[in-house]
Amino acid sequence: MLTIEHLVKHHGSRTVLDHVGFEARSGRVTAFLGPNGAGKSSTLRILLGLDRADEGRALVAGQSYRSLRDPLRTLGSMLDGSGAHRSRTARNHLSWVARSNGIPQRRVDHVLDQVGLTASARTRVGRYSLGMGQRLGLACALLGEPEVLVLDEPVNGLDPEGIRWIRGLLRAHADAGGTVLLSSHFMGEVADIADDLVIIAGGRVVADGTLDDVTRRYETLEDAFFALTSDGRDTVR
Amino acid sequence: MRAWSVFAAELQKLSALPAVWTGAAVAVLGAGALTLLNAVGVRDALLAGRPEDSGYGSAFDTAFASMPIGTVGAVVIGVVAMSSEFTANSPDAGGGRQIGTTLVAVPRRVGVLVAKAAAVVLLVLATAAVAIPASVTLAEAIIGDAATSTVPADEAVRRCLGAALYWTLTALLALAVTVFTRSGVVPLLVLVVNSSLVSVSLLLTMLTPVAHWLPDMAGRRLFGDVDTVAGGLAAGPGALVMTGWALALLVVAGAVFSRRDA
Repeated sequence: MLTIEHLVKHHGSRTVLDHVGFEARSGRVTAFLGPNGAGKSSTLRILLGLDRADEGRALVAGQSYRSLRDPLRTLGSMLDGSGAHRSRTARNHLSWVARSNGIPQRRVDHVLDQVGLTASARTRVGRYSLGMGQRLGLACALLGEPEVLVLDEPVNGLDPEGIRWIRGLLRAHADAGGTVLLSSHFMGEVADIADDLVIIAGGRVVADGTLDDVTRRYETLEDAFFALTSDGRDTVR
Repeated sequence: MRAWSVFAAELQKLSALPAVWTGAAVAVLGAGALTLLNAVGVRDALLAGRPEDSGYGSAFDTAFASMPIGTVGAVVIGVVAMSSEFTANSPDAGGGRQIGTTLVAVPRRVGVLVAKAAAVVLLVLATAAVAIPASVTLAEAIIGDAATSTVPADEAVRRCLGAALYWTLTALLALAVTVFTRSGVVPLLVLVVNSSLVSVSLLLTMLTPVAHWLPDMAGRRLFGDVDTVAGGLAAGPGALVMTGWALALLVVAGAVFSRRDA
């Protein structure tokens, strides 16, 4: 469903992405793991058409994101927390986003309820906590009832109950045939929900496969992660 | 992407920003307050038989003396329309910016910019539709029969439309400039100062007549014949030059906005 092919990205003389490629398939939760600065967000930003790749391409169901019509109905995403201007209310934010993609306004109340923000729907986003901002970002991703969810560090700032809730949500989304790609630098969270793993370090994919494939040679996912990202050469395919 | 949906979303975004309402308030209340001060002075001078001290003989001219303050409001609306996209949220709330949401929702960036420009035009025209008649009415009410002259209706209408056009084009210039800077601080400071306290372009006209072709100088006769500075373009050609500036800057802004990383 999501195809990332040979992405190369330079920031000045620094190579941020060095031929990054992988797939995220329908009906599966793909975890995109790596230390901070490994290139996770850069990859996702190129996938979402926010940044340009110097080489390679990223496709959503065979099309570039920028060519999707009403993209939020196909792919819901969350980068950078709430993604809302601080002086807006959650309701106003979701309302304009819905309008821009021809999504019915009733979805706004629905997703607010879904992420547990109904009581804070009229609070300015600038007064939100980190966890509330994450919930608003998720609400925005869910707004268009998309088939694909792309979430950058979705559990950041969520309390244990929130983490449990989002795991259930993502699992259910994949089980219903949807595609989930989530990034994380925190191993513990993804072990329980990921079907597939893509591990990135220093701008290169160092491991890519099912959870079992990648972790077979290690005691735990955490061991696998540190082994794979420390030297960045121990590639498992 | 349906252009109408994108425009409606941009309009909703803008009209929910407190800073946009501040801009509109500056235009409406600022023009009103200045008109009030001027009109009282003009009326007293005319009633005292000192027309040479009044500055203006008609209520309309008195009201129009305060119209440049509306330009400040238009600058605020134009700048904030773009700078709000790049304002970081509070660190406690994760710090993100709205631009990511905007471009993920509407990846066709030129479409975003066109919709923003259209929303800015609509809001500035709505502001002008309140501010200008309100100021003229206020001046009429204060000066009343003391007026020694009147402005013919066709000229009055032309100048009202001209002022609204000047504000609108200024807002579009501000929008385009803020695409380049992303932050609103510098364009706000420079454009507000230029359109209220010290006009840099006006000073430049003393050095070179070419400065009469700068956007703000080119369009200034849209308010009517300005007696402070001689020379420069007449209202019609000036409006064309100013419109050309606004469109050219928007085109360049569109090219930059489309190409750079968000």
